[in-house]
This record gives sequence, C-alpha cells and structure tokens, in this order.
Amino acid sequence: MSTWAVTRLEWRRLLVRPLGWLLAALTLAWLGWNFTVLLGSFLAGQVQRAALPDGPGFTDLVAVPLLGQLAQLAFLVVPLLTMSAIAGERRNGTLPLLFAAGVPASRIVLGKYLALLGWLLPWLALTLAMPLTLAHATDLDWGKLAAAAIGLALMLAALAALGLACSSFASHPAIAAAAALILGLALWSVNLGAQMAGIDGGAINWLAMSTHVQPLLRGLVSSADILWFALLISLSLALATRHLSTERERG
Amino acid sequence: MTSIIPPDPPPALQLDHVARRRAGRVAVRDLSLSLPRGQVLGLLGVNGAGKSTTLSMIAGALRPDRGVIKLNGEDFLEHPELARTCIGWLPERAPLWPELTVTEHLDAHARIRGLNGAALRAARSAIIERLELQPLARRLAGVLSQGQRQRLGLACALVHRPALLVLDEPANALDPVQVAALRSLIREQAAAGTAVILSTHVLAEVTAVCDRVAILHEGALQHEGTVEAGDHAALERRFFEIAMNPRPAQAA
Repeated sequence: MSTWAVTRLEWRRLLVRPLGWLLAALTLAWLGWNFTVLLGSFLAGQVQRAALPDGPGFTDLVAVPLLGQLAQLAFLVVPLLTMSAIAGERRNGTLPLLFAAGVPASRIVLGKYLALLGWLLPWLALTLAMPLTLAHATDLDWGKLAAAAIGLALMLAALAALGLACSSFASHPAIAAAAALILGLALWSVNLGAQMAGIDGGAINWLAMSTHVQPLLRGLVSSADILWFALLISLSLALATRHLSTERERG
Repeated sequence: MTSIIPPDPPPALQLDHVARRRAGRVAVRDLSLSLPRGQVLGLLGVNGAGKSTTLSMIAGALRPDRGVIKLNGEDFLEHPELARTCIGWLPERAPLWPELTVTEHLDAHARIRGLNGAALRAARSAIIERLELQPLARRLAGVLSQGQRQRLGLACALVHRPALLVLDEPANALDPVQVAALRSLIREQAAAGTAVILSTHVLAEVTAVCDRVAILHEGALQHEGTVEAGDHAALERRFFEIAMNPRPAQAA
C-alpha cells in the first residue's frame, strides 16, 4: 500500500515538473528526425539490397539503430530524471516526513523506482511506435525487434536503479546526476581499455553493460544477460535502501 | 456479585528513559514523559534544549539511542508502522513539495497514511474546510507565503485524524488571527480525544492551550507539571529559573 502511495507521489512530481516534459519532447523530436533519416537511407538502398538473398531488412537498418540511439540518449536522460528522486526530497526536507509516516526505506526506494519506470517505459514504447507504424508496409523481424526492446527496457531499468542509488547517496540533485552519468558511462565501457590493449578479459567483459546489451540488440536473448541486469538492479536498489535506512537511524 | 472495573487505558504517549546523541553531543538525555489522551502537553526550552529532537523521535523520524517510546501502550520502536496511522507531525518548518498543489499534498499525505477512495476525499474536504484552505486548494506549495505553508503543513499532519499530534512551533509565521484559530483547533483536537504535544518558545502559547508543561534544558527534563489558567507569571518565573540555573544533568 505505502509503496503504491510513494509511486503515485513520485509519478505526480515527475509529471508536473517541466524537466520530464522537456526531456520527452526534445528526445522524441530527435529520435523522430533520426527515424526519417534512417528510413530515407533504407528506401534509397532498397534496390541494391534486393539483389542480396539474406540482406539486412527494415529491422536491422531502421528499427534497431533507432533503439541504439535511444540507448545513447538514456545515459543523459535517466540521470536527469532520477537525480531529484531522493536527493530532492532530502533538500526539500520531505524525506523525514516519509520516514515519520512509517514507510520502510525499501518501500520508499521501490515506490520511486516504479514511478521512474512509469516514465521510462512509455518513452521506450513511443520510440518503438515509430518503426511499428510501418509494420503493415514492411517485413519486420518481430523476434529481433522484441529482443532489442527487451534489451533496451533492461538497460533503462538498470540505469534508473543506478541513478536512484546515486540520488540516495548525494546531498544535491546535480551531484546525483553527475555521479549517475559517470557511473553509467563507466559501466558501459569498462572493457574498452582492456580491448584496446588487446586483452580479451573475461571478467572485465562480463562487467561491461555493452557486453550484455549488444547481443540483445542483435536479437540474441540469453538468460545470463538478463541475470546480469537483474543483479545490477537488485544491487543498486539494495544500496539505496541500505543508505536510506542508515540515514533514518542517524537522523 | 462482582463488579468489573475496566482497566485505565494506556497513555497515548509514553517515553521511558529516552536518550539520543546528535552531531556528537547529547541532544536528549534520559527523558521520561507520559501524555494521556485528550491532553495537550507544551514542551518548553531555550534553543538547543532538545525539543525538536524529542519531537522527531516521537514522530518516528529519528530513532532514539536508548529508551522506549510507547503509543497507546505499544512499543513504537518495535512497531514503527504505528506512526503511519497514529501520528500527525508538523516539523519546525513545514516541509513541502514545491511543485505540488495544496490538494495534491493532502492527497499524498492521506495515501501514505493509508486512506484511499471515498475516505481520502472525505478527509481531504473536511480538513480543507476546517483550515479554510479552499482559496489555496489549487495553488502550488512553492508560491505559498510562510503562514500559508504552515497551515498546509498542519493540514497534512491532521488529514488522517491521528491519535497523537506532534507540533513543532506551529505558530511560526502565523498572524494573530491565525494564532487564535490554531489555538482553537488544538483545543478542539484535544476535546475529540487526540493527545497533542507541542513545542514553543512562547510561554503565552502554553498557558493558552496546554493542560501540562514540560521544560527541557540541555536535553534533560527539568520540570513537569500542570498548567493553571492565568498561571503565566509563575510559569515564566520557573522557565527563567531553569534557563539561568538548571539542575545538573546526569551523563547520558
């Protein structure tokens, strides 16, 4: 019950702040523009590709690259959305009110996390709607598109959990946003240095988010990748909960 | 024939040997207090006496280092969920979400305290009417004056009809008319059976609305007693005696 109350409160706060609308408008306009550019290139190369028996189709050349752009935007958008979730409450002085209402830290964190997903998943759905509007006129690879959508949803959920953890530790929303951006990018490219040095580090590769998103964008759904995201989300939410509980104890 | 005498109900609030350190110093030491239902207790003390820390612990925002807090006879520290329905708290500066309207604040507080649907709407309407917040209902909290913020904070504390009302300097930023209305509201709550604990710097506030008074100094209880009508001079004398020459406090 209290989780749902926190979710509704956070969702309301997200809806009435101009930042959420501004981010949605700017990013969807950008993605819409890119969709038309990708579609234009796809149509221009259609004749050449017709000669290839197993050439790339609409899904490979338009839908998945569009989702790839959403993934890039997410590194900036998610920290901006999550920064105020807990750090903002702390600055307003409203966090003790939630503590005093007997809402456990875990429910505060979970409630806020669900509200963030309530913004991010429609954002993903609206982006997906762009290629889907042409589903009747093209030969969509539904399996590949579904795998890519799952990958993006997991990535957004993981970045949201990471952003929420940063927000729970930070004293100011701007610090939370910067920390979430840096951590997100570091987590994406942690294996890049090893690869550049010619080392195919198994453990470092496993740590990198890119290792787990890219197969999904190619249409390969593996339980190991899903488990990696589940671990990151659980760890981030557990850290946020732990920090809030400690804050409640210390006062 | 044996007569069955019902046992006395437990006090709405009971503090037993409660202590708390804050920022490296003892904020509250070995505090024991009891507050029956329907009574108003005034908490007096100079700045830094431990009033706000005490109220934060009673409200559930802060855990004591030692001691027991009971609400209606139940250990509040073992059952922190009791705070959800039993306590209404107005901190020293009413904390609000600047981007939400007055109505949205009341809805959020009511939902967090477990009200939903028709019960929520009825509670919201009742408190808006009682605190005359109708003209402000659609206004954002971020643009309210200090006095209006304080009234909204009070409305949020009362929306779920708590059994214990915890008010930290509730008359802050209120004009004389609003102060009179606040006093009347506190007495009305007490008459309805709500236990009220309020901290204030204003001695007249205590003599006007409180049944009992407790004076804190350096985190320790220095005086506790009833307040008699027109007892202002005696209370003032006692307060200054304690502020200037407190009893030595025990180490926490």
